[in-house]
Amino acid sequence: MRDLFVVSKFTIKDMIKRKSFIISNLIILGIIVLLFNIPNILKLFNKGEDISSDTKILIVDENNIFEGTLDQINNMELGYKATISNENLTFEDIKTKIENGEIDSALIIENTDQVINIQYIVENLMMYETVPETLVNTITNIYSNLQISKLGLTQEQLQSLAPNFNFEMKQTEEQKVEGNQFAMMLMSLVLFYAIYFCAYQISTSITTEKTSKIIETLVTSTSPKTIVLGKTIGIGIVGLIQIFAIIVTALISNALFLEEGILDGIIDFENVTPFLGIITAIYFILGYAVYGLLYALTGSTVSKPEDVQSANSPVAIVAVIGFYLAYFTMMNPTSELNKLAAILPISSPFCMPFRVMMGIATTGEILVSIAILTITIYIIAKISIKIYSQAILNYGSKIKIKDMLKMK
Amino acid sequence: MGLKVEKVNKKFGEKVAVDNISFKMDKPGIFGLLGTNGAGKTTTIRMLLGILKKDTGEITWNGKQVERKQVNFGYLPEERGIYPKIKIYEQLLYFAELKGMKKEEASKEIDYWMKRLKVEEYKNLQAEKLSKGNQQKIQFIIAILHNPELIVLDEPFSGLDPVNTELLKEVILELVEKERYIIMSSHQMSSIEEFCSDILILNRGKTVLSGNLKEIKDSYPARTLEISSKQDISTYIKEMNMNIHKNIDNNYEIMIQNEEQAHTLLKKLIEQGIKITKFELKKPSLNDIFIEKVGE
Repeated sequence: MRDLFVVSKFTIKDMIKRKSFIISNLIILGIIVLLFNIPNILKLFNKGEDISSDTKILIVDENNIFEGTLDQINNMELGYKATISNENLTFEDIKTKIENGEIDSALIIENTDQVINIQYIVENLMMYETVPETLVNTITNIYSNLQISKLGLTQEQLQSLAPNFNFEMKQTEEQKVEGNQFAMMLMSLVLFYAIYFCAYQISTSITTEKTSKIIETLVTSTSPKTIVLGKTIGIGIVGLIQIFAIIVTALISNALFLEEGILDGIIDFENVTPFLGIITAIYFILGYAVYGLLYALTGSTVSKPEDVQSANSPVAIVAVIGFYLAYFTMMNPTSELNKLAAILPISSPFCMPFRVMMGIATTGEILVSIAILTITIYIIAKISIKIYSQAILNYGSKIKIKDMLKMK
Repeated sequence: MGLKVEKVNKKFGEKVAVDNISFKMDKPGIFGLLGTNGAGKTTTIRMLLGILKKDTGEITWNGKQVERKQVNFGYLPEERGIYPKIKIYEQLLYFAELKGMKKEEASKEIDYWMKRLKVEEYKNLQAEKLSKGNQQKIQFIIAILHNPELIVLDEPFSGLDPVNTELLKEVILELVEKERYIIMSSHQMSSIEEFCSDILILNRGKTVLSGNLKEIKDSYPARTLEISSKQDISTYIKEMNMNIHKNIDNNYEIMIQNEEQAHTLLKKLIEQGIKITKFELKKPSLNDIFIEKVGE
């Protein structure tokens, strides 16, 4: 037990003191801070202009059709700050206003032969490809209401023309899916990379020890089991610290740099609970252990750094299959395939935390999934340590699978 | 007590790596383990250290079966290696802690040995910044830092300059004085002759010679005569059908069939009134014995 602690401590110190580790982590954390500052950076580039997200649009209403409706249009918060002009403005006049920055775009409304023509003018159609549909629909509705009000209909008649539809959605599945799929998929990807790269470090570390021949001294100082498990624990702790640092940086950046509610469309914070945090940490640890121990096995079978990648390929393929099984079935989270992905040990670390986040994972499913993962880790650890013990002092060519199977 | 190896065998697949070897060290000193490349020395050492399981036979230390968990031997492997990016002190401490030492005790020992082997200035340097010789001294410190009773040194002097070789020899002799058991494997026969009281020569996994080095050498008759004279004596030598191996300024090295032949030559030269300045019958060196035993 003491040796396990010594090996873990040494592994942690070795990793966190590396310049590459420090620089790459500072870059990652810097990028996170930068991403959360994008709105502030955009503000700086707009140099004191009205930096509200609203697009300044001029409604040219020469016939004064929309008289007195400006407040109504602006109060609907459509993302536009509209102004109405009754002047007879030509295309060139509007072009000048856009070039001067007075407006971003314009709608010219003309009433000819009972047809309302709407012309949309913008600086560059490539930049403003989207026609302001909501604004056009609003203007159309306001126009309809103005026309209806001129007919002098009663309140009942008006209501029958525009009934209040009560729209309600129901699902046939018992469980309710909540949260934002985009955020979940993004987090699944982050978890995959965190698990994969931490696990890969074990393989690299073992091969480095073998290549530098330090392993000869190391195996006479402690048992192969202690070396494999100590490394796995050490690198896992560093991985957890990295993830923790990323989450803390993201949360602090969110609190310091972003306006409140700006992420509401991306992530539903109501679903981000301490329980989800614990489940994610558990699945990170277990998933990392599965892949880390597999990489310990492959790392011990090679003697040259250039062979590491080819030796690790089978594990990489399994990891990618596991990830995509989880990732694609997440689009249909109540499917049987997604349930399977949450149970299979190769995919459950990437899948189950998000079933929990979506509120569709049952306690039974979670327990079964963790139990299967734990048993898998135990079996892989046994095999990995056995093969590591036999293979680690072999400095010849890469050990083949048939030779591994023969190892007693 | 001490180390006892009895009828030990090890196979890798169909290949016999170690075939029924036996030897013992019942008192402190240095034991020489010799053999050509691939003779089974490293396999034997790994079994002694308990990192490789033997197929059959017994290896005991102070009467108890050697198992990796129970022994705490020191080992300087032939394949040199330390962590290149880690500071010397940190890696020495790491191995000391793995060998069961506490930090304070380990720090004291690290300071002592670094000073003794004249590498104290590198304490806080990364290993890759040290010369190969100094890296080797660091690895030697790793092997002896925890004060083990039995130390296995595989090619301890290879790659060292003469000054550092002498320094390491001094330290090894100090360890013997402290009653340590040392197994030394080397291709430098002069070092083995200098240090080892007992030896074992392996060839293709089998013991071809073992025992007390002096007794082994004494059992071999003299084969070479070194004779010096102030005049050319080659005619007399050739008359006796003896082969001149070397002749530098009338200093001859002659291969002889037996000691009697050498004495007959000497008698003949004296009778001729030739002044002889050197007459020495030489026994075969360990190098000669080694080549004879494994060279076919």
